[in-house]
Amino acid sequence: MLSVLIWVPILGAALIGLWPAAIPASRARLGALVISSSLIVWTVVLLSQFDISNAGMQFSEAHPWIDTLGLDYSLGVDGLSLPLLALTALLTWTAIFSSNESVERPRLYYSLMLLVNAGVVGGFLAQNLLLFVLFYELELIPFYLLIAIWGGTSRRGYAAMKFLIYTAVSGILILAAFLGLTWLSGSSTFDYNSIITAGLPLTTQLILLTMLLVGFGIKIPLVPLHTWLPDAYVEASPPVAILLGGVMAKLGTYGLVRFGLGLFPETWALVAPGLAILGAISAVYGALTAIAQKDIKRMVAYSSIGHMGYVLLGAAAATQVSLVGAVAQMVAHGLILAILFHLVGVIETKVGTRELDVLNGLMSPVRGLPLTSALLVLGGMASAGIPGMAGFIAEILVLQGSYATFPLPTLICVVCTGLTAVYFVILLNRTCFGKLDNNTAYYPQVKFSEQVPALVLAATIFFLGIQPTWLLRWSETTTNAMVATVQLNVNHQLANAIAPTRSYEAKIQLKTPIQKELILTP
Amino acid sequence: MANIVDIAVGAGSFQTLVTAVQVAGLVDTLKSPGPFTVFAPNDDAFAKLPSGTVQTLVQNIPQLARILTFHVVSGKLMKADLAKLSSVTSVEGSPIKIDCSDGFEVKNATVIAPDIEADNGVIHVIDTVILMG
Amino acid sequence: MTIATETKAKLPPSKHEFAEVIHRLEAGGAMLPDTPENLMQIIGIYKAYAVPMDFYWRDLLYIAERVFLDPFPFFKYFIPKEYLDLHNHYAGDDADLRIWRGEATAHPELLEFMEKGETFKMPKLLHHWLHDRVNMEFAEECMRSMLWHGRDMGWGLFDSYLDSDEYKANADKAIKAYFKYNPVMMALYKAFPDLFLEQCRQMSYYSNLGLFWEIMAPVFFEMSDIYDEGGFKGVPDAMNFLVNGIFAIAGRPIYHHVYIRGECYEIIPKSKGFMWLYEAALPYVEAVFYRTSPFRGTKSYNAQAKQVPDDQKDFHYGILYADVFPVGTAGIPPTLLMQDMLHFLPPYLVDYYRQHCRGENDMLIQLGITFQRSMYCVTSAVIQALRTALLYPLDDPNPKHLQANRAFFEAQINRFKRPEARLRNIQAQNYR
Repeated sequence: MLSVLIWVPILGAALIGLWPAAIPASRARLGALVISSSLIVWTVVLLSQFDISNAGMQFSEAHPWIDTLGLDYSLGVDGLSLPLLALTALLTWTAIFSSNESVERPRLYYSLMLLVNAGVVGGFLAQNLLLFVLFYELELIPFYLLIAIWGGTSRRGYAAMKFLIYTAVSGILILAAFLGLTWLSGSSTFDYNSIITAGLPLTTQLILLTMLLVGFGIKIPLVPLHTWLPDAYVEASPPVAILLGGVMAKLGTYGLVRFGLGLFPETWALVAPGLAILGAISAVYGALTAIAQKDIKRMVAYSSIGHMGYVLLGAAAATQVSLVGAVAQMVAHGLILAILFHLVGVIETKVGTRELDVLNGLMSPVRGLPLTSALLVLGGMASAGIPGMAGFIAEILVLQGSYATFPLPTLICVVCTGLTAVYFVILLNRTCFGKLDNNTAYYPQVKFSEQVPALVLAATIFFLGIQPTWLLRWSETTTNAMVATVQLNVNHQLANAIAPTRSYEAKIQLKTPIQKELILTP
Repeated sequence: MANIVDIAVGAGSFQTLVTAVQVAGLVDTLKSPGPFTVFAPNDDAFAKLPSGTVQTLVQNIPQLARILTFHVVSGKLMKADLAKLSSVTSVEGSPIKIDCSDGFEVKNATVIAPDIEADNGVIHVIDTVILMG
Repeated sequence: MTIATETKAKLPPSKHEFAEVIHRLEAGGAMLPDTPENLMQIIGIYKAYAVPMDFYWRDLLYIAERVFLDPFPFFKYFIPKEYLDLHNHYAGDDADLRIWRGEATAHPELLEFMEKGETFKMPKLLHHWLHDRVNMEFAEECMRSMLWHGRDMGWGLFDSYLDSDEYKANADKAIKAYFKYNPVMMALYKAFPDLFLEQCRQMSYYSNLGLFWEIMAPVFFEMSDIYDEGGFKGVPDAMNFLVNGIFAIAGRPIYHHVYIRGECYEIIPKSKGFMWLYEAALPYVEAVFYRTSPFRGTKSYNAQAKQVPDDQKDFHYGILYADVFPVGTAGIPPTLLMQDMLHFLPPYLVDYYRQHCRGENDMLIQLGITFQRSMYCVTSAVIQALRTALLYPLDDPNPKHLQANRAFFEAQINRFKRPEARLRNIQAQNYR
């Protein structure tokens, strides 16, 4: 079942890219749309079949591939990856739909878009570490080409190369960590479920985990590993930016939770305070730099850094509430970033600029871009975490869940949600309100088809904001189970540390029955 | 000497003006002792007005009277008297600019025959109908 | 009346920043450049303006004369048949001065629209609530502008008369008669006489504007007909028609009569000698074309930050200065006028708009800018008429007179030096 999600886009890409006869641009686009729509349908089927009470992997597939390397083709989905799969399907469709109909070299373009989709989905599904790295690297090349060929200005080559170098380093670090992990733990295979880090010395675990953190931190990206992001996001055309920010970045946070938290439950607690601080720094940095921007696309790009900080905070805190919040924030961030990039793209196409100082009065109902402006206001509100929209649900869960563990970073993040409102008010005030310039404001009309992606995303953002269960129900069981292992292991370690002294006071400090039991068992 | 109205009637070149004064019912006023200073537009002056102007005015007596009284100043002011002034107030109430620096001009009209004396005042013949404002 | 088509080069070229416009005015032209495109636009829009105007003037008079001080004037926009059939004094066979060769009663296109609106035939009240009707609110906004600016414009005797004892006595008689059988209103009148008096003054301005537009509607209809017959050769021709019209009807009396139970109360009698030109047209141009007031819309004004001038005379928010682009936004009154004109555009203008900008979708703004052009033409006519009335012919042989004319033109054009004035925009065709 899951292979479909990987192979249909790959086959589709091959079909569009290698079809012997000439295909007109509209036909290529239609083909890509049909394929991405079928993926959405398939994802809906998966959602309907998914057992939300099961914390483990579902729909698992496993085929031996290269035994000598320990590389198996094994796939599976759980509550952590399922929402991200759905997000990927929706955003791929959105990105293809919002692509310029007269895009140059359409066949290559749409094939690459589908390949990106296959790579990211493969990453979410892979249950073998090597397979994950394979997919993780697979989407790099299409992204590089998408930025380098269809990017905006003359800086696109530079931006694409910077992106490639950064993310390649990220891939190498992750590969190295996985290799080290497997060899040192004495596992004969790279299978996710058979790797147990418990036996490894703490220092080794810390080194391996740090490599993973840096690797995924580049992808997310976390300050100070973010410098590729503004260039790549801004130079990429809006549909590519949607995939970069909405989907690809999620591979980073997903990897962090899946492999960082999942494989190193014991060491996680040691790095968590640092991660929480990094998350808060990212949030502050993203917000403050966004406030300083004069280019609305760059503003949105920096806002993305800020919002990924919340994911990191939630993951670091790793409480039941915060982790489910982190997953929700990944989805909400993807949706909101996608709608913002799409609208910024529409504005740039119609008005011909992204400069805050030039844009004005787009809310004007007859000569402006009223619906686009209205949706932009909505997107800004969603991003700033206004209740009633998906962003609010995600952020409140993250903040609520993290406060008890990391009060100071959480409070900083709370302030940052306020700062989000600051830069969006700046953006909306300059862009949507005020007067249209009588000399220049002869913009073409936004066609309905150009509004469709934003309308779909807006509806989704609203729906998930009003009916948050649909955002949270998929992941709750899985994340709860993950949290349990972390606590279990934290206490295990604590117990190990405490046990030799057999200190009576230590026993008294630990209150829950499970903890007592743990202390007593050895 | 005759009064202002008689002189105007007798001159023959003020037919429009005389008709207007009659329609507006100002004959008796202009025959009264006064004295008045009248800036009298001749027939050519009225002819310069766009068509319909006079017709509308003749249909509306009070409005016609207002325009006519704008051409009248109370008191007998000869050219020599007017030369000392820059403006006089008409019976209508609005001011009339006088300019004797170069010829003899009343507002935008030029006086073509000054100082025609009558029993109850003086007439200055002008080449343009003057209007308030 | 003749306007010379060329001036002999007796004066050195003007050094004014709008020297080109000054020279055009001196040559007997308009502020609007003489192009066939401009001519087509302005005449088309005059026609579209004249039809709702035919409603405006009838309803304004109806309100001033019949509705009067009704404390709950719910139905003031429902013109009775009597006022639809009221004969325009400047159209039809029995006209005082026949300006338009058409009929004296309400225009057939107007009657058709009142019947069906944009939608379909339904009870009047539903059309009213759906706003599928002629927007009298625009006419009232113009009236209020005249009332509000009347005090310090220095044009005419009308406004100062409203403060005279004579007016107060006349109004008092009418108010007492109107509320004769309404003890509550009568008691309120005793308690707050000035409130009622002020309302009555507003009614007088209703009458004033109604009588003003009664003339403009047939003037615009006739211009449209002449154009359709191939009569105008350029923008100056159209402007000269307006100049002649202004003179021809300058003497039309402005008054305010109220009919209460069949009896006529002359609040402002015709015998006051108030004239169309001085008491209605010139104040109208000043109050509506130039001044009006800032309206709430996409731009909010902060009076404390001096975004609104201290003195009313410095207000420049009229159509000659207006930013037409926000039309369509809530709170922008000209939107109502544009909407009204949209219903009566001649086909050639609709075709023209379809070919530009967003076609059908931004026609409201395109026609708004056409309207702005056309009002620059009307203002040019007023300027030329004032020059004819108060100054000298364009071909005057006396250089001193020509210099006086130029000084007058320059003084008029100085008012368009303000950055928000659209005189510069309308010189080019790509402002639309």
